[in-house]
Amino acid sequence: MDIMARAADLMEKEIPFCLATVVVSALPEIQPGRKAIVLEDGSLEGSLGTESLDIKLSGLALKAFKNKKRQLVEIDDGVQAFFDILTSDARLVVCGAGHIAVPLVRFARSIGFRVIVLDDRADFANPLRFPDCEVIAEDFTLALREMAFGPSTYVVVITRGHVHDVDCLTEILGKKMAYVGLIGSRRRVRIVLEILEKQGFSRKHLKKVFTPIGLPIGAESPEEIALSIVSELVCVRRKGPAQAKTLRAAVGIDL
Amino acid sequence: MNDKEIYQKLAELKDQGIAVCLATIVDTVGSTPREAGAKMIICADGTLYGSVGGGCGESEVRSSALRSILTTRKPELIEINLTDDIGTREGDVCGGTMQIFVEPLMS
Repeated sequence: MDIMARAADLMEKEIPFCLATVVVSALPEIQPGRKAIVLEDGSLEGSLGTESLDIKLSGLALKAFKNKKRQLVEIDDGVQAFFDILTSDARLVVCGAGHIAVPLVRFARSIGFRVIVLDDRADFANPLRFPDCEVIAEDFTLALREMAFGPSTYVVVITRGHVHDVDCLTEILGKKMAYVGLIGSRRRVRIVLEILEKQGFSRKHLKKVFTPIGLPIGAESPEEIALSIVSELVCVRRKGPAQAKTLRAAVGIDL
Repeated sequence: MNDKEIYQKLAELKDQGIAVCLATIVDTVGSTPREAGAKMIICADGTLYGSVGGGCGESEVRSSALRSILTTRKPELIEINLTDDIGTREGDVCGGTMQIFVEPLMS
């Protein structure tokens, strides 16, 4: 399998890797365009042309994995390679498959999120309503308890009632994730947060929840609300949670 | 198009035996429309997939890509300068420069 086909294959399998491409070379035996893949354990697939270059590549790629930065790296005198760090795509878990979920999932899919939709009502958590997604019709607590979370996991809690919101947040707040947002009026979200605080969650944990959810763009219709939520996901993914919080604070949302 | 879709598209075009070129932003200085890692596929008939920044410098990338697919068969590293003065007709005024690696991927 050639390197590009292997890259497509690794992405399909969601295995993170660094694709190094020689961009500048002063050495006649190393042609620009040569590629090699380094996996997260440092193992190499393909070769840049010489053993000493490959050994240096593995070490440098491991560093690049840590800071996740795509950049030009000088591998050896006169040899520069571009390190494309390709980690698994961001994954969105949507708790609640009601009328906001439909446009939300559509927008999130089109900007490259893998999406899991969860609801305990099988007629709502119906694959026909959510093409190209994993759809789970199961009790919120049980499904979330089984689910793997990680630094690329984004969670949107938009269930039909505050009791379900509490169930979802109770299950996920202790887990590592990139983002968690909770829908609701100020009154409803305050009730949810109070219940969680009584259950023993610290304020610090609760501060992580983006609520009321979404960037403040004055959204009203389900589609507009979905757009505001997806905008917040883009902001957190590209610029980090601090910028998303700043945008909210600018209009006085600071729960 | 995200990276996964770009790589899938490359694999698909290759299976079809279509000569393509991949342009990747490898370095940026100052304000540029996209960051390092943004990619665009250029086919020999001019079809594009993905983007390295829309109008800004795109025609230079296309020329480089067609040259490398059709003539030289070698990759090129080009610098796109987006520091035209404000007021220049159709000028690229984003303010930065970007290095774009343009490589032919033959089947």
